[in-house]
Amino acid sequence: MNTQLNLKTWQRLFGPSFVTLLIGVLAVLVLGGPSVQAQTTTASDAPVDSSITLVVKGSVTDPNGTITVSGNVIITCKRVIDTTSVTSPSLVLLDFDFSQVKGTSGTKTLKTYVTGDNHATEIRPLQASDTIIIPTPYYDSGKDALSARTMLVSANLNFDIASGKLTSGSLSVGNNVVTSSAVGTVSTAPIQ
Amino acid sequence: MPDRNFFLSPKASKARLREAEQARNERWDIIKAHSHGQVSRRDLIKMGLFTSAGLLIPMSGLSPFARSAFASSNIPTGLPPSPLGTATAFSQPMPRFDIFPRIPVSALTPAPTAQANTTQQPVDPALGGGTGPIEGRPPGPIWAHQQFGLLPPAIAVDASVEGAKTNTTYNPGVAPNMNSGINPATPIPPKFHPNLPSQQVDKFWTYNGSIPPKLMQVRYGEPVLFRLHNKLSVFQNQNGGFGIHTISTHEHNGHHGAENDGFTGAFFFPNQFYDYHYPIVLAGRNTINTTASDPMASGPTDAGGLNKVPGDWHETMSTHWFHDHMFSFTAQNVYKGIAGMFNIYSGLDRGAEDIIDGVNLRLPSGRASVTGKSWGNLDYDVNLMLADKAWDRDGQIAMDIFEFDGFLGDVMTVNLAYKPFFEVERRKYRFRILNASVSRFFKIALSDGSPMIQIANDGNLFPHPVVLTQLDEQGIAERYDIVIDFSRYSVGQTVWMVNLAEHQDGRRVSKDLSLSEALAGNSDDPCVGKFLQFRIVRDPAQPDISQVPSTMIPNPDLSNIPVARERVFEFNSGANQTTNDPITTFFGPWGIKTDNQGATLAADYGRISAAPKFGTREVWTLRNGGGGWDHPIHIHFEECQTLSRDGSASKVPAWERGRKDVWRLKPSGELKITLQFRDFGGMFMEHCHNTMHEDNAMLLRWEIDGAGTPFLNPLPTPIAKPQGVTFMAPDDILPTAF
Repeated sequence: MNTQLNLKTWQRLFGPSFVTLLIGVLAVLVLGGPSVQAQTTTASDAPVDSSITLVVKGSVTDPNGTITVSGNVIITCKRVIDTTSVTSPSLVLLDFDFSQVKGTSGTKTLKTYVTGDNHATEIRPLQASDTIIIPTPYYDSGKDALSARTMLVSANLNFDIASGKLTSGSLSVGNNVVTSSAVGTVSTAPIQ
Repeated sequence: MPDRNFFLSPKASKARLREAEQARNERWDIIKAHSHGQVSRRDLIKMGLFTSAGLLIPMSGLSPFARSAFASSNIPTGLPPSPLGTATAFSQPMPRFDIFPRIPVSALTPAPTAQANTTQQPVDPALGGGTGPIEGRPPGPIWAHQQFGLLPPAIAVDASVEGAKTNTTYNPGVAPNMNSGINPATPIPPKFHPNLPSQQVDKFWTYNGSIPPKLMQVRYGEPVLFRLHNKLSVFQNQNGGFGIHTISTHEHNGHHGAENDGFTGAFFFPNQFYDYHYPIVLAGRNTINTTASDPMASGPTDAGGLNKVPGDWHETMSTHWFHDHMFSFTAQNVYKGIAGMFNIYSGLDRGAEDIIDGVNLRLPSGRASVTGKSWGNLDYDVNLMLADKAWDRDGQIAMDIFEFDGFLGDVMTVNLAYKPFFEVERRKYRFRILNASVSRFFKIALSDGSPMIQIANDGNLFPHPVVLTQLDEQGIAERYDIVIDFSRYSVGQTVWMVNLAEHQDGRRVSKDLSLSEALAGNSDDPCVGKFLQFRIVRDPAQPDISQVPSTMIPNPDLSNIPVARERVFEFNSGANQTTNDPITTFFGPWGIKTDNQGATLAADYGRISAAPKFGTREVWTLRNGGGGWDHPIHIHFEECQTLSRDGSASKVPAWERGRKDVWRLKPSGELKITLQFRDFGGMFMEHCHNTMHEDNAMLLRWEIDGAGTPFLNPLPTPIAKPQGVTFMAPDDILPTAF
């Protein structure tokens, strides 16, 4: 590597102040700069899988009346470690399987509500506890998915930081709360 | 608090913003010098100015990512934010795509030819002088259009890639009241917003040099000749500091011969053209429904009927896009604007919701009886191209080509418009959403959490629609087709599309936010939150008769097709460079290990990494080598089926159970796919579609073995030059390739 030649070239290209900085860079390198961030996975870095099943119970109210919601939600968790960064937190890749959640409403004519094959996936930093609110679609099993509405499932999850495993949690369900920032009104004239 | 952010907050102190601006300018000098060929990237890396991971050594004054002299040690650093001036969010209408005119093939001069047209023309001295061919396609029989006589082009599109200019021929394909009031006769300057400056001719390159982005509408049974002229400057330094004036267009993900695939090494030069022949055929046309007797396998006729075609109707495709694929410059050239969309219409997916014939799925689009168009109606079928951009203090588009982890913008655009609004009626709409970013993933929800129906992934209609309140993360190049029913809203209401995926850098999503978190406005990522406003402006003039059938396109049945071979591709950092051809190789931190053998290799399009046999089916494992990155991996040529994720078929979500051509591996993730090799031959690619990874150098070449005359075994590598393409033997063939 012809460092001298390249320095001359850069001086011509960038000017002396830049090259002064460059010399500083080289000094940093000689004294021990950052190394190539090769990504290698060791046994201790390997992904850790865990899974829990939580019961969800509750009710939502929509124009069809009150719907009682219940069922199992299978939550699978994959902890991954970022081997390239000592500062980035480990991640958990979460999958919520709502396919066993059902709802019922009415007394004379029982309507059954389903969530279809609904899954939700989330990437979150690993922390001891995390609260995730997941809008979840549901619809009358006698109709098609176009009739779907939204309920909110709130998940409080607990993790073992050391092992990266999902250990426990709880779920609750409620109405989708639509705020004024979520649905507004047309108030501004367009610029064209 | 994250240790690092890509962009500083606009609320950062003036001193810090000034410091970051100065650092960016220093870096920009290097980028520009490199881009103009004054210093090579290899030299910069060898000298230690950049690490091979792409980071400028973190010294204050040299890097915008260095710790600030004006902040405490834990304050994150980043690039100065893109100035918005008086441009405000949701104040401009979102333009529909600009439809390429379809012209008779006879209107092309010279007439297209099966083999490349090697008629000589003078070559500009800036490109070496002498003479060279008018067409940049590699010459001879191997790169001749396959089945050109059998599938002659029926229509042509004559287009160019050129620098920014005002659009005076805008054709959105719909009336102004379906395009948020935009008058197509009003010239459209190359601006991201009316209150932002026009982009300069050297900064912003697009198809035909104008915005909105271009849409090609095609149909099965109607082969297309796409003639693309390179009208960029012959002077490489007239590039605004990044991008290269040699180009290659990939029709993503066409089932075409390799000569029309936009192979990364089959690029062409200013003043040349390249004829791409898109036969628009169903996969399996030589073995399935060969007599074209099945009406499900068809394209629409102008009279409202069906033009039956050979092939497997289960392979019908819908939403494609086309973009530059120049070797090691894809990120830069696509970011500069060389990207468009490509809608394929079929008997099933007609683009005419009122034609009832037992084949048409009648998805939201528009009525033939109203528009007089029997196919391709766009009234309620809307292309959305999402891309994050950044600009410098002069408002000109800017990019850091040395962010090898991935480049992020801090400004959301839709159809190259900064955070626009779009007027809708109270009825169902189909949106064809393309992630056209360099490195950013999206995760889309409606601001009120309302359900959306996903109907297609990567241009493939699902077996069954999937109802979702938030889409899965959408990787770069993935296309998600969704249906939103606006009848649930009242006239005068507004609702937004919201991005939930938060990035700290270009490596991967750092966190998926909940809707309430994203709407709270607390994210350090400026592209989180609302990015497209829907204004519900009226009731539809006619009742909404469009449908979302419960069954759309079942997957092709592969159960009787034996698996000829399994291969493994592992996507890693820390690649080795084992070949040194100055044209076909590129050094970078990324690479691919093949079949668990040898080293992770940096890209060399002269190397053959896999050569499946023509007419066979294989199973490929795609593996992410670690947890630090995500990689959206794209395989060219034919759509694939996903067999498993992380070893389990049940971990393949409903929205990935159709066909696909891009897969997010996810951190430390692995998946198995199956694919076939049929109908055409030639050389294709597989790469990460985080195009910073692709360009540096996570890309490999594979080719189809035994496709018959004129294909050789192995295929020679094209070496593009303005004076004519030459060929050389592959410089490497992996031991497990054949």
